[in-house]
Amino acid sequence: MIKQLKLPFYLAFQYIRRGRKWTLFLTIFLMTIAFINLIFIPSLFSGIIDGSNKQIINTMTGDIYISPQDGNDYIGQKDEVLQKIKNIDGVDSASAKTLVPARLKQGNIAGSWQTFAVNPDNDRNVSNISSKIISGSYLDADDVDQIIIGRQIAGGTDVEENALSLKGATVGEKVTLVFDGKPKDFTIKGIYNSNFVESDKRAFITEKALNQIIPSTKNKASTINIKLNGSANQDEVIGKVKNLNMNAKVYPWQESTGLMKTVSSSFASINVLLSITSVTIAAVTILIIIYVTIINKRKEIGILRAIGIRPYIIILSYVFLSAIYALAGIVTGTAVFSLILVPYFEAHPFVLPICNAVLVLDWQNYIIRAEIIFFVSLLAGFIPAVIVTRAKMLTAILGR
Amino acid sequence: MIDTQNLILRAENVSKKYHSGGVDVKALDDITIDIKAGEFIMITGRNGSGKFVEGNKTTHLPEKLKMELRLSQLGYIFQEYALIAELTAIENVMLPAMMLESSKVAKSKALKMLSKMNLQNKVKRLPSQLSGGEQQKVAIARALINEPTIIFADEPTANLDSIASKEVLEIFKSLNEHDNITIIMITHEPEELVYASRIIQLSDGKLV
Repeated sequence: MIKQLKLPFYLAFQYIRRGRKWTLFLTIFLMTIAFINLIFIPSLFSGIIDGSNKQIINTMTGDIYISPQDGNDYIGQKDEVLQKIKNIDGVDSASAKTLVPARLKQGNIAGSWQTFAVNPDNDRNVSNISSKIISGSYLDADDVDQIIIGRQIAGGTDVEENALSLKGATVGEKVTLVFDGKPKDFTIKGIYNSNFVESDKRAFITEKALNQIIPSTKNKASTINIKLNGSANQDEVIGKVKNLNMNAKVYPWQESTGLMKTVSSSFASINVLLSITSVTIAAVTILIIIYVTIINKRKEIGILRAIGIRPYIIILSYVFLSAIYALAGIVTGTAVFSLILVPYFEAHPFVLPICNAVLVLDWQNYIIRAEIIFFVSLLAGFIPAVIVTRAKMLTAILGR
Repeated sequence: MIDTQNLILRAENVSKKYHSGGVDVKALDDITIDIKAGEFIMITGRNGSGKFVEGNKTTHLPEKLKMELRLSQLGYIFQEYALIAELTAIENVMLPAMMLESSKVAKSKALKMLSKMNLQNKVKRLPSQLSGGEQQKVAIARALINEPTIIFADEPTANLDSIASKEVLEIFKSLNEHDNITIIMITHEPEELVYASRIIQLSDGKLV
């Protein structure tokens, strides 16, 4: 068997070794483009989904979040619960948020934005909002009349939802939180931009400030967000948190994706359609490349047959040739993708309202697409080789 | 009754028409030719007289021989050398042998054949680096490597100068006389006919 494969491989190798280098370069270039075309869009979609998931985790929920049981507004014994959670193996940090039952307004403009009270020291460890400040600074634990607001609340001409915002509020200006009809003024200490529209429609004050206004919320939380350390198993930690019996519901972050679930599902459908188109384009491109190569070698195929080389050897030699082209295209495509495109888009991401999207290569998808392009290439080598080897020997040799 | 003694090939009642310039041309018109082992046959005639078709249609073999004659026992030599451009002289020659032997054995046989053609110093040259005569000698070496019983040569000297043509014809003569290889050669050149043991002349598809 191996002996029978040796001759076709030898022929394919010599075609490449001694063939025209420019033709070889162009062929591999086209195969590379066909392969990159096949992995670019799925990687971009993966990047958008991955990016938006990270936004949800980093700005809203953490890796795990805890909500009050149905019928309750708060999780009680917040400080004790937080301490117990922090002691669980696999938990990096935890932070409680208390929804402030107040309406935020500035002058005549009011909105239905959510305001949360947080312990800034805890929140820094779970959320990345503190690192997304674009103007002013983040909260300190002792701030009692300071507030930070998201970019979509502050507004501005370049803001996506400016019409529904404070239309250009700046750091140092006053905003009012109205509690049960009683107003309390806060100074805008900072404005943040997480590049995630949903998150940027939130405002934050300190727990200390909320406790002064509504003392009954002391040691209570509307939600607790948990950040896991790198090696932790999410399900295991959820199990341990549930065992604390704190009369609350525990969820993985995936449960809160809501909008992104629909986006992901639509992306998956678009991805399938685009993949079919890309595979078809790649298949036709490869078929044309190999067909032209083989047609140009019609005379040589005739010679090979005339000197006694069996047709299956000739066909196999072109199948091997196609396989070598395909492998070269896959390897070069992977190198260009990983070493040029991925770093480029990391430096210059696609800016979207949900995240800054970069290219994320899903290796399972990559292997499937590499296999597709490889087998399509084998077929593209096989079909024209069969057609040409069936032609009359002398017709092929004499180019008639 | 066919005399099959020493018969190696028989073309029996072969007819072939082709269409050229809006006219049907009879290349072969019901001809029968017997070829015996060890003959050096030259087929000659004007262009379009059917020599080429004849050279490639002699496939009516006696039943006994049909079983014995395999593709490896036939050697083809073409007017345009028909070498694989990407392979060196030795690689071209060893190719048919690689179907039957290991590449090591094939290489050693190819070296021997090329030495026989006085090309031992040019084994690593590509066809484009060889003269026409040298390329044809490589083609002959390739045709010989599997020790064929019959060699078909289609105007093998057509693209060669007189010195190279004579060299090629001397090689054929030696192969025929010393190695008892049957040679069927198509030629246009009347002066080459002296090398043949039998001449078949075709005119308008008929034997003359």
